[in-house]
Amino acid sequence: MPPALDTRRPGDRNAASRQRATDGWRPPIATLALFLAPAILVYVGFTAYPVVRTFYNSVHLVGPNGAAEFVGTGNFSTALFADPVFWTAVRNTAIFTVVGTTVDVFGGLLLALCLFIKVPFTRSLRVIWFLPVLMSYVVVGIIWVWIYDYEWGVVNLLLRAIGLGTLAHSWLGSPDTALWAVMATHLWKWLGFNMIVFLAALHALPAEVLGAAELDNCGWLAKLVYIIIPMLRPTLVNLMVLSFVGKMMIFDLVWIMTQGGPLWATETVSTYVYKRAFDWNTFDLGYPSAVAVLWFLIIIAFVVVMSLLLRQRDRLEF
Amino acid sequence: MAVVVIDGLSKQYATGGDFAVRDVSLTVADGEFVVLLGPSGCGKSTVLRMVAGLEPISAGTVSIDGRVMNQIPAKDRDIAMVFQSYALYPHMTVYNNLAFGLRRRGVVRAEIDRRVRRVAGMIGLVPYLDRKPHALSGGQRQRVALGRAIVREPKVFLFDEPLSNLDAALRVSTRNELIKQQHALATTTIYVTHDQVEAMTMGDRICIMNQGEMVQIGAPLEVYRAPADTFVARFLGNPPMNLLRTILTQAAEPALELDGMRLALTGWSAAALAPLIGKPVILGIRPEDLYETPAEVASGPPHLVDVEVEAVELLGAETLLLLALAGARQELIARVGRSTGLKVGARTRIALDSGALHLFDPATNKAIPRTA
Amino acid sequence: MRPWFDYIRRTPLLLFLLGYTVLTGGPFLWVASMSLRTTAEIFADPYALPGHLHWEKFADAWMQSNYSTYFWNSTIAVGSAVAIVTVVGAMTAHCLARYQFRARRIVRFVILSGLVLPPQMLILSLFQILLDYHLYDTLPGLALVYVASQLGMTVYLLEGFFAQIPQDLFDAARMDGYSDFEIFWRITLPIGVPAIFTTVILNFVTLWNEFLYAVVLMTDDDKRTLPLGIMHFMGSHQLDVGMLATGLMIAIIPIALIYALFSETMIRGMSAGAVR
Repeated sequence: MPPALDTRRPGDRNAASRQRATDGWRPPIATLALFLAPAILVYVGFTAYPVVRTFYNSVHLVGPNGAAEFVGTGNFSTALFADPVFWTAVRNTAIFTVVGTTVDVFGGLLLALCLFIKVPFTRSLRVIWFLPVLMSYVVVGIIWVWIYDYEWGVVNLLLRAIGLGTLAHSWLGSPDTALWAVMATHLWKWLGFNMIVFLAALHALPAEVLGAAELDNCGWLAKLVYIIIPMLRPTLVNLMVLSFVGKMMIFDLVWIMTQGGPLWATETVSTYVYKRAFDWNTFDLGYPSAVAVLWFLIIIAFVVVMSLLLRQRDRLEF
Repeated sequence: MAVVVIDGLSKQYATGGDFAVRDVSLTVADGEFVVLLGPSGCGKSTVLRMVAGLEPISAGTVSIDGRVMNQIPAKDRDIAMVFQSYALYPHMTVYNNLAFGLRRRGVVRAEIDRRVRRVAGMIGLVPYLDRKPHALSGGQRQRVALGRAIVREPKVFLFDEPLSNLDAALRVSTRNELIKQQHALATTTIYVTHDQVEAMTMGDRICIMNQGEMVQIGAPLEVYRAPADTFVARFLGNPPMNLLRTILTQAAEPALELDGMRLALTGWSAAALAPLIGKPVILGIRPEDLYETPAEVASGPPHLVDVEVEAVELLGAETLLLLALAGARQELIARVGRSTGLKVGARTRIALDSGALHLFDPATNKAIPRTA
Repeated sequence: MRPWFDYIRRTPLLLFLLGYTVLTGGPFLWVASMSLRTTAEIFADPYALPGHLHWEKFADAWMQSNYSTYFWNSTIAVGSAVAIVTVVGAMTAHCLARYQFRARRIVRFVILSGLVLPPQMLILSLFQILLDYHLYDTLPGLALVYVASQLGMTVYLLEGFFAQIPQDLFDAARMDGYSDFEIFWRITLPIGVPAIFTTVILNFVTLWNEFLYAVVLMTDDDKRTLPLGIMHFMGSHQLDVGMLATGLMIAIIPIALIYALFSETMIRGMSAGAVR
């Protein structure tokens, strides 16, 4: 029975103050604990603690058997001022990210538009084009290593077949082309994802607005530029951020196809972190941790800046 | 001059499939306001979209000023449309929403500005020119949609249920606004709605559609007073026309036998009634043509019918009575004055205005027109 | 019926579509074809269709090249991880979606922040941690890491879905006297089956293909998961293209099967959250 006087205060958990069952239901702590404990435990043990430890490592030299020697900002200054490989990796990753994101997002939009205008077999095409997204990087990487093979890879065979044999390269073996070759493969894998998202967003556009645009003398190009792209802006920004972050952290594909070679041409920050930790003549987990932390902060900074710059100032209700 | 001729217009979504619109023909004179009225799914919006060019035409033609528009894309038909959901460009200000179409047509910037401001002034949008649609109320958005159509100075206006998304009070004021604007501009207009009040008050002529076909077309009062079939009879008028099953008999003169009572018929020629003698016919009488006392009857001599009152709805300005015929197998609704003394359960006699009777053939549901 | 010139105008577009489709699907067909040919045949003519279908290669790969070990390792690690993360994720999502409590915002933020954390921030420390707890190079250790890596995404997807279940159902259950856990078990879970199913499939596909954590945290050959196993094989038998192709098919087929059956679910699930 509720008390005659309302003496409830926020935080009161005794029986008399329990509210009726709405979303404002405040369950007893035991229940909360039951539901949340497993997740919190996993999170603390395998996410939060490792992050903290990475920060800890980054200001130490961590030798084998966990021997840790405090070096303060030593690792960071080495990375920033005394490590040309780090900067090569940064440069490679930056090129990969900027060019890759742009082609990825706008290529996805282009593909989605192709399907949006109702070509035959739209549904089958949609399913086929999404297939690479689902495949492991190992599968994708190995197949494309074969495709790029100097002697019997498809790319070179086609070039030779149409008489451009002089352009045939060892695509992954030559420092000039390796990064672009890996980028092409990465795009091959991910274009389908952006395409799917854009296609869904296009279908969510109100048909009457597009009809009004037609009546306002818009051909398909004008509709695209003045109406469709502005209305897709939230999705565009979202995908750009997602793609950007994903490419900044790229490891798997590079490792599988070139291991960062030839001659650091495809070395990315992630592969460098791995190499410094597990594939270096000295064993030290501190330095690569510092590089990881540094890169993490840079990614966050970029994401924040990008979101602020590109986000919609007012709501785009429709 | 903008005369719209719709001739034999049909729409099938799949060859051999059902007809969404079947053989609709109608001519809209220059400056005329024609309303397409009908229930949901009757095909009126599809007709409008075919006229606009937003929907491909399966059969028939649409011509504006004699020029056939079937193959001409929407943007070249010199038509402006106001959509039910307003279809404003959400990322543009009101000014740009109004100006966009003009810019796309290459109108000079100074001229655009002049037109936009003039139209904004006409419909009271000047304070909102810099706002985006999400910052506007429903009525304001509606006006922007209207303004966008007006600023184009097209040959034809098309309206697709523009008032459906507004609340009742706003609907009334916006309706009057629309009528005013249309008269001022004298542009040929086709207006689609399912609301009969809008149709009756706004149209020069209304065209009733049902299941893809045109059922009747005429001036509002004409259609109201002389519905072509039972569908139109029940669609217009609130509460709807009462339809009663009766048998046509002939002694000295033709009469209807209703529930044991005989109602003499005048106004129909013997020839018109001959094929139906002895058969069932549907009697139609509107609630407002039923009276409490014979003295009040408006036109023809009153017929008196025994009824029992089943329900009394006191609406303030008037009263609706749900009546059961003495044989208790059919019901009527009567609309009487506010000071009725009748109570539930009362037995009384109701006067039918015999000059306001309608007859319908039950086989076809079509009206049997009066001749005299 | 479209006028004929419409088709002509569309030809470049149709060619482009065809080209892209070949580009996307072609490589898989090629690998499938190579998986049934011997390496000698492949080097003789890389792009021919198999003359003789060498089904025995799959048996060979399975038994002789250790693929069966890799496959089962993957199944165990991924299967257990998916099972655990589904249960834990559902419980968390239910709690966050239905209950209001002071720490709710923080907990939500914390769990979802896992979504934006780059793996590099974690792998080195996880390496140390697993070593310390003797979970390094063990399937249970890997499975736990997998659970943590997928928890954020699972909670994100499920919470959105659970929050849409009408409150009336819960009110009715509470008035009928069900306890909190029973409500979760009898209402949220059955109704949430479509969303749970989607996360199961997504998690399975993501973890089946997972490479980075596996490469850092596993070293023994008989603990390797399938992607690692294939890489290892690639390293030591680079020229045995035929066997590699067969190995790749072993990795591809489970995913392709799931995709064939559930393409709509997978497509929608993976793009959820990115569409605004």
